[in-house]
Amino acid sequence: MIKIEKREEITTKLRIIVPIISVFAGLIIGAVAILFAKVNPLIVYKSIILGAFGSRYAITETLVFTTPLILLSVGLIMAYKMFFWNIGAFGQFILGAIFSSYFAIYGSPDLPRFFMISIMMFASLAGGALWALIPAFLKAYWDVNEVISTLLLNYIAFNFLRYLMYGPWRDPTSHGFPLSKTFPINAQLPRIIPNSRVNLGLIFGIVAAIIVWFIIKKTKFGYRISVIGGNPIAARYAGINVSRDIIIGMLISGALAGLAGMVQVSGVLHLLQIEINPYYGYTAIIIAWLSNLNPIAAILVSFLFGAMISGGYLIQLTLQVPFGIISVIQSSILFVLIGSVFLLRYKVSFVKRRS
Amino acid sequence: MEKYALKAINITKRFPGVVANDHINFELYKGEIHTLLGENGAGKTTLINIFDGIYFPDEGEIYIEGKHVKINSPFDAMNLGIGMIHQHFMLVDTLSVLENVILGLKSQGFLIDKTSIAKKIKEISDKYNFKINPDTRIWQLSVSEQQKVEIIKILFRGARILILDEPTAVLTPQESTALFGILKQLKSEGKSIIFISHKLEEVMEISDRITVLRKGKVIGTVEKEKTNQRELATMMVGKEVIFEIEKSPIKKGKEVLKIENLEGYNDRGIKTLKGVNFTVNSGEIFGIAGISGNGQDELAEILTGLRKASKGKIYVNNQEITNYSPNNIINKGVSYIPSDRLKVGLVPNLSSVENSILKRFNKKPISRGLILNYHLAREYANKLIQEFNIMVPRLYAPVKLLSGGNLQKLLLAREISENPILLIAVHPTRGLDVGATEFIRKKLLEVRDNGTAVLLISEDLEELLMISDRIGVIYEGKIVGIVKPEEVDINEIGLMMSGSKLVNSAR
Amino acid sequence: MPSSHIILITLLTAAVRSGTVIIFPTIGEIFTERSGVMNLGIEGMMLIGAFFGFLVTFYTNNPYLGFIIGTIAGGLSSLIHAYICITLQGNQVVSGLAMSIFGAGITNFYGNRLANNQLKTTLKIIPIPGLSDIPIIGKVFFSQDIIIYLSYFFVFIMWFILFKTKAGVHVRAVGENAQAANAMGINIYKTRYFWTFFGGLLAGAGGAYLTTGYAPFWLDGITAGRGWIAVALVIFSMWNPSIAIIGAYLFGSLDALQFQLQATGTTIPSSLLAMFPYLLTLIIIIIATVILRVRHIGVPKELGKPFFKEEK
Repeated sequence: MIKIEKREEITTKLRIIVPIISVFAGLIIGAVAILFAKVNPLIVYKSIILGAFGSRYAITETLVFTTPLILLSVGLIMAYKMFFWNIGAFGQFILGAIFSSYFAIYGSPDLPRFFMISIMMFASLAGGALWALIPAFLKAYWDVNEVISTLLLNYIAFNFLRYLMYGPWRDPTSHGFPLSKTFPINAQLPRIIPNSRVNLGLIFGIVAAIIVWFIIKKTKFGYRISVIGGNPIAARYAGINVSRDIIIGMLISGALAGLAGMVQVSGVLHLLQIEINPYYGYTAIIIAWLSNLNPIAAILVSFLFGAMISGGYLIQLTLQVPFGIISVIQSSILFVLIGSVFLLRYKVSFVKRRS
Repeated sequence: MEKYALKAINITKRFPGVVANDHINFELYKGEIHTLLGENGAGKTTLINIFDGIYFPDEGEIYIEGKHVKINSPFDAMNLGIGMIHQHFMLVDTLSVLENVILGLKSQGFLIDKTSIAKKIKEISDKYNFKINPDTRIWQLSVSEQQKVEIIKILFRGARILILDEPTAVLTPQESTALFGILKQLKSEGKSIIFISHKLEEVMEISDRITVLRKGKVIGTVEKEKTNQRELATMMVGKEVIFEIEKSPIKKGKEVLKIENLEGYNDRGIKTLKGVNFTVNSGEIFGIAGISGNGQDELAEILTGLRKASKGKIYVNNQEITNYSPNNIINKGVSYIPSDRLKVGLVPNLSSVENSILKRFNKKPISRGLILNYHLAREYANKLIQEFNIMVPRLYAPVKLLSGGNLQKLLLAREISENPILLIAVHPTRGLDVGATEFIRKKLLEVRDNGTAVLLISEDLEELLMISDRIGVIYEGKIVGIVKPEEVDINEIGLMMSGSKLVNSAR
Repeated sequence: MPSSHIILITLLTAAVRSGTVIIFPTIGEIFTERSGVMNLGIEGMMLIGAFFGFLVTFYTNNPYLGFIIGTIAGGLSSLIHAYICITLQGNQVVSGLAMSIFGAGITNFYGNRLANNQLKTTLKIIPIPGLSDIPIIGKVFFSQDIIIYLSYFFVFIMWFILFKTKAGVHVRAVGENAQAANAMGINIYKTRYFWTFFGGLLAGAGGAYLTTGYAPFWLDGITAGRGWIAVALVIFSMWNPSIAIIGAYLFGSLDALQFQLQATGTTIPSSLLAMFPYLLTLIIIIIATVILRVRHIGVPKELGKPFFKEEK
């Protein structure tokens, strides 16, 4: 008979081992799925690793994909600490991209680069923050379920982008494709590693992670959001203005997602397009949880996932293996992780049942 | 063997760190009311949960009417004729009486045979004069009516052995008397009843026999005729119980709290405070007696800023604070010990350190601009833990791992250390063992001796009589009388609590 | 017949069909949530149902079989979510999201080869003799396929089950007060597994109907967020099947309108219009939430909270 009892405490050892096991379990499940498609999983995995680390270019591409993930996941950590289920990183990402692209497309190409980039940065922070403000306000004042509101806003944002890209912002010279005109040099985030697409955004990400870490661990605001996340009623009692703090927290969360959007269009693509990759927004959720809501850990986990994405693109190209397998692996990791929280909380032992 | 409705031999149940039931022998005659007496943690609830199939004993056997049985689930218990009424009712608020009664019934088919079930409910209801309508939703019923639904539920299923876990905890003295009448009627029909309480006066009234448990063991089984309250109390606690606590004479100071015509609504939009008036002075403990649900909870929440008053005024030190935010009220020197510790006062996932600074994280020296000085916070937490003798597994362990008594001590420590001018304590000793209870009551008196005004809301009348200087009785949202403990007896207060008596206040 | 009539009928007919895609998962999720489990993986399960529905029909030319297999596939996939949420007491929100990502990933992975194919045989339109001749209503409601006809009964039956039968009382009890239901002998785990599986079956059914009846081709991500609309509709309907059907047809109308406009070639207004269903749902959610707050009923109290049976 299985006996289940609450664990007294959770050791650090467990805390690290469990995510690692989850990753391996996810890889195994992915391998099974690949087998079903009659492809050799080892070849696929080898290619993924090659695609991620196999050459100098591969590594830089991994970094390229890591960059938005850091910003997005750190932003989500901010929200999740408050137990605010922000599923809208994707929409906030888009709004950030749109807002910053406006200046790239309609602004003057002669403006000094420093100014243009700064303006675009602020615009993207504003765009993401705005998109996060709506569900934050709805939740704080009217208790509207934030899962639904952030989700719906994702779709609204996406369709708005589609509208812009098929309509007023479409580049007349793009032969009908939904693309904007290419950004002038002053609107492009400088590359920091020569001969690669790695841009300043990576630095943004690392700085953001450190700042958010500091906010959570050391500041009064960080303390307040832990209290809000742990017990909103006690928070109110302690005089914490829960509504205000939720909004501030979400503004930060959305702003970081928006900044990620700007990094994508200004640092990597150098234009605005529809294929802005919805996938990042949801992957960032997995990263936030795998990192146990620790922004510094998020940098590493983002790197891991960036590697998977980079590898995923390669296998799509060379092996014709659809990118979806990466989602399968990543969501499997998440499944195992969530499931194993059970083992963290409870001790399972086998007891002989009395006859 | 036929005279036994239930016989339990050698029942032992172990939980990590504690033996809840230690080789217990218990016998229930047919047609008797047998009380299980003991303090919190003595093992009463564990034992009856074993009878109800919720727990499975590690050792021991149970015989129902002479037959050896294994009770593996509440369903088994029901089939054996055992019906249990828990302290917290097992009712689904949004469903109707009828739907609650048929919950889990295996005999019913797919469709609900509404007419025949409603008829049977009405039959039972009429037999005991319950006046319950099968279609009423549970949330529309009063507490004692809900209890009646619980009784209907188990009688509907043919219970012959009834177990009631502290049924009078939520009733007025008058409702308790009515309940006793019902129990006696059931007894005369041959039903056997196990009754749990720790109110000695009741126990002496209703029981035929009494079994006293202490620390998981049976201390003894006595017949009511052959014992008295003092003897029972000694068996319960193991030492001569002092019914009095040392209370120094009151040093009443100036008026600290004044409440004028306060009105307020509860979460359901029902007006539960209908014009409350009283004052509390520094250096006194003002107790509020009343059955749960007469407005006390809303009163406490309004006073601490967690709920808005719809009408009326509150003054602290002659300054009006009506509908101020919690933060502002705290800043005026008001501290709060809520009844539901983990719900309002503490953050379960955070550590003792973070919880202890909940009220001072915004003030120097712990607050330094935008940053928090966690080093000082740690020191402060350690200080509280020492002073109040709080047991924590580790300093940084989440407080949800602490026991009820230690949680309450942490809360008390934090609130008292703010040196409040007004301390509001709601059910502060609920669910605590004797040691913790005594500690807390002593601390409240200490705080009062130091000049703090204390507003004590409690369901424990004995406690109120023991330490209050004045007691205000609340009934249906109004203070119906203010009395001094030395000038009144428990029955009079009981009558006031049920609205039958209005006493002119002892201001 | 005047051309405006024709347009109206085409539109309304499409509205019913689109609404049917969504009513299945919505009702499924109503019951799942009523039992206390939140399933945000509907989008993924719908995709799985859609994929298998398409796959089977593509190879067997039997859309009815495709519908059934798709439904079952959705149900099976929900068991993962059920196991994690109910037995392992995992975080239901995150598990549901993982399910949606998983569904999207796995259908992308396996569906690649089938992309842009069209089904040769789809669910047949079977006009009901007599009823289908009623002006407008006849064409809209009674000249549809058998799945839609089943859906009419289905909604009514589920409403009846929820409010008039013992099973309904049980699921409501489990979702409102699991401790009480448990004390009364109801097996919380079994109930939740059952209704989560049920929800998964219906999510699969919605997706399967999408590819076998409504839009008989395969595209990556063909459900386009309908799973999320279903989640929103559950709140909108206040967990009541009879209101859910209204919301479903409402959404269906907007969806059909958008489709229509897109078909006429103009992409610009269609993108703007595509925002509409989501925007409208959001507004309705806001209104519903505010009303619920005042009336203080609705959300099953146990929603999202795992149940742990005390050790015996």
